[in-house]
Amino acid sequence: MRGLGSLIVLVVLGGVLAGCSGDEKVESSASARPAGCPAALKPEWQQLANRVGAPVYCPNWMPSPLDADINGQWNSSGPIVNRDRSFLVGFLWHEASSGDVHVNFRGFPGKTAMPQCLDGKRRIPCFSDPRGTRQIGDKKVTVYTVSRDADQWHVTYLWRRNGTLYTVSEHVAPPLNFRKVVANLDRLVGGLELIAPNTTA
Amino acid sequence: MKLTRKQLLGGAAAGALGAAGIYELVDQLAADSPERDGPVELPPEQHLLAGMKTFEHEGVEVIEPPLHHQVVTAKLRVDPHPSALAAARERLEGALRDLERSYDLTPAGLAVTVAWGRPYFERYVPELAARHIPVDRRATRSAVRPVSAFLDAIRFPSDPDDTILEANDVAILLRSDIREHVADGAGRLFEETDDLFDVTSIRKGFQGGGFTGATSLPKSMATAAGVPGADLIPDTAQLFLGFTSTQTNTQGQSAIANFETLGLVDVRDGYFRHGTHMHLSHIDEDLEAWYLDFDFRERVDTTFRPGQEASDGAQTLPQPPEDAVGAAEVEDDFRRAGAIGHGSSIQSTSRLQMDIRGADGELYRKGSAIPLRADFNTLDNPFFWTADPDRDGFEESPSAGVHFVTFNPSSDDFNRNRLAMDGVLPDGTRLPIPPRARTQGLNSVLRTTHRQNFLVPPRSHRSFPLAELLQ
Repeated sequence: MRGLGSLIVLVVLGGVLAGCSGDEKVESSASARPAGCPAALKPEWQQLANRVGAPVYCPNWMPSPLDADINGQWNSSGPIVNRDRSFLVGFLWHEASSGDVHVNFRGFPGKTAMPQCLDGKRRIPCFSDPRGTRQIGDKKVTVYTVSRDADQWHVTYLWRRNGTLYTVSEHVAPPLNFRKVVANLDRLVGGLELIAPNTTA
Repeated sequence: MKLTRKQLLGGAAAGALGAAGIYELVDQLAADSPERDGPVELPPEQHLLAGMKTFEHEGVEVIEPPLHHQVVTAKLRVDPHPSALAAARERLEGALRDLERSYDLTPAGLAVTVAWGRPYFERYVPELAARHIPVDRRATRSAVRPVSAFLDAIRFPSDPDDTILEANDVAILLRSDIREHVADGAGRLFEETDDLFDVTSIRKGFQGGGFTGATSLPKSMATAAGVPGADLIPDTAQLFLGFTSTQTNTQGQSAIANFETLGLVDVRDGYFRHGTHMHLSHIDEDLEAWYLDFDFRERVDTTFRPGQEASDGAQTLPQPPEDAVGAAEVEDDFRRAGAIGHGSSIQSTSRLQMDIRGADGELYRKGSAIPLRADFNTLDNPFFWTADPDRDGFEESPSAGVHFVTFNPSSDDFNRNRLAMDGVLPDGTRLPIPPRARTQGLNSVLRTTHRQNFLVPPRSHRSFPLAELLQ
């Protein structure tokens, strides 16, 4: 059983997180890290931007033990680029006895409408149960707690820029919980660098 | 009083009876105790709680249950000899009457309900039990042989294989808005009778809605305890799962859950008239699965009924008698939506299918709820204290769950409701819903760890029922 003192501290912490249900400005804790996409990874993300013909976001931080190396050991999805240029890049660490750390990046170039997923024969929003917005740097992100398809059981941060919808999501599963995932996504989105295409697809 | 769970396990159960542990926070987090009515006369039923207030929330009448709940289970240390039983009976009854002199039978005072398990009747008064325990008329008709109104608990299709079917002699339920009343009541009761009982478990919890807009107890307590998914609970939710469960229309009114009221049960010579049946279980709730895998619309569909109208974020949904559904509608829902609602499927057995004039003279209208629930949220994992931590799977870390307490006229009546929740309908239809599949919605995030049925005698026979007839 936990001591009363630590419980009261947690109540206060809970209150802070409860701010997620409304507008909230989040200071980027990634600011202490070198700004921008790691130089070693930039070519991969540049290649993706070129391939989809739209800017993509490269992270300068990923939750341990992941990195953002698209060609690296943690890549789990793609990049998968669809005919409409929408894309998915996933990174997964999985250990049967310990759990998952799973982060997905998506983009929908030229589209800002909520993407639709199939639930059986029904088309339903891929992200639902919005829990307010957060201002992270220049991005106003909406937090969704219910996600579908490759993002199932993820918390998703969604924002729009210049006619394109972007999402970053992370799986809520041991060793992480909702609170830690929100903190991770705050930090992750706070450290994204926009990589513009230098050629057309 | 601060005790670690290890200290509790190392010491006597007596210490745990009054220990607050994490539940000390309830008093700090709750608003002032609700205003309650004054003293009331004691009813012949033990399970009825006087002085309950109702109020309106989101346009629906809601009953405000007591804030603090505790269940103590025990096995008896009493010699099965008539004189020993008589002495034990006198002492327990004396202790209970002493508490009644100290506290009114209202949430502002203290309500104590003593319920007895089948092991008590089988070991101490088997022949008398065979003659006096009520017989379930409806179950008897179905089985074409006499079926007792009081059966052993069973595992249901959506239960895990390791759900423990318990065999306690007695369970004592204590309820109050004031934690000290519960602690004092449990402490005095077991202090004055300490050589009669071996306590097997202590289970604690709380109810308390944020109906006035303040953060509710379940949200505050889960957050304080760091339970996974606590941040996802709506701030003002009455229960961890986000919806109100004590709408007046969903709770059995007056004496409807008594053995004798609806005529479902033959009370024989009437010894157990004004008594009832109690089911006690502990259910673990996976809050992260509930809030991350089901969006609000899906949570409404699976908690109530597919397609149930609900404004965004609603917590208290109306479930009036006139909207109660039967088995045919549940089957229609399943064909249409591929899923069933928790509330609607249970309604096919838990709501009256016609107007009935009860044995108490009251007219119970078609669609009225029969079960009287007294469930409460808990952070016990699975119990606050247990005499057998290994068997019970005891963990120190808090966990979101519910101690489910419900009063029904018989075991079969409870079983019918619980089976309907798994898609086994009263007309015999078995909807093809895999156990704990996502299409079961609510069931997929629940895991029942323990079950037991009890018989709640009338107040006049609450202490060692039938033992006085041995002499």
